[in-house]
Amino acid sequence: MIQPQTHLNVADNSRARELMCIRVIGASNRRYAHIGDVIVAVIKEAVPNTPLERSEVITAVIISTRKELKRDNGMIIRYDDNAAVVIDQEGNPKGTQIFGAIARELRQLNFTKIVSLAPEVL
Amino acid sequence: MLKSVGHNFYTPFLSLFDQLVLGNCVLLVNLRRMRLEKCWFCSSTVYPGHGIQFVRNDAKIFHFCRSKCHKNFKMKRNPRKVKWTKAYRRLHGKDMTQDSTFEFERKRNRPERYDRNLAENTLKAIKKIDKIRSDRASDHIKNRLKTGKVQRQKEARKQLELGIHLVKAPLALAQDSSLCLPKIKDNVSQAQTEENQPMEE
Repeated sequence: MIQPQTHLNVADNSRARELMCIRVIGASNRRYAHIGDVIVAVIKEAVPNTPLERSEVITAVIISTRKELKRDNGMIIRYDDNAAVVIDQEGNPKGTQIFGAIARELRQLNFTKIVSLAPEVL
Repeated sequence: MLKSVGHNFYTPFLSLFDQLVLGNCVLLVNLRRMRLEKCWFCSSTVYPGHGIQFVRNDAKIFHFCRSKCHKNFKMKRNPRKVKWTKAYRRLHGKDMTQDSTFEFERKRNRPERYDRNLAENTLKAIKKIDKIRSDRASDHIKNRLKTGKVQRQKEARKQLELGIHLVKAPLALAQDSSLCLPKIKDNVSQAQTEENQPMEE
């Protein structure tokens, strides 16, 4: 359940460290974002001397939330933190490596590049 | 979600919603499968549709069978110190730890080529092995509790000897020699019936 003002970790090597959600993409008054939703975020913390810098507005896709993800087969998955991967307008990740286990839902939402880079898919 | 996979293997334990098309050599297999996991905290089996999986940041997955175990985990309790968990019981010798029947339950990640006979025999074997294992486990517990039982009986007899005056007045015992203290025998049931005699009279 990510909403504006939520801080998220960055789970790729795109040189941003921490993001703050500004907007949940979807409907006009959409409240919360879950795994697989795209958000607009501002970079709160970045690795110095890199193309991405602090207070830059980027889009990201959420890949893990502390709020449980419920599946149709009854499986419930909870992660340890809220994390996102920085993407561009087409949905391709900006980084080249993804850290952490990725939920299978991302493949069904056409984030295939992210899923292929992921070390483990749950 | 159906995906075509190019190899011939049939992965067992398919979910209910799979459609298996036995074509020439290509099987459509749902890559999600139902697996019976073990609860990380209490070691009971987690069936599909139950419990929560927690993914830690180092990608280690913890399965929990119910919220009780999940909450204990969040409290950072060590299952080896929590009395009702299997981990504690095994560690402290309450439950059977080593047995050949445990070998059958080892996790094997190799997919087997589907063989109807193999599947049938496996199902039969599972039932049998389960019974054998649970019988052996209960025997282990029975043996463990045996010494305590014998000890308690000894103490009961001792108490009866010392407190026979509560059961029957010592004067009555002295007068009527037929009302003597029951002879101590090792047989449990016999001792019990004999202990009852002074009471009835």
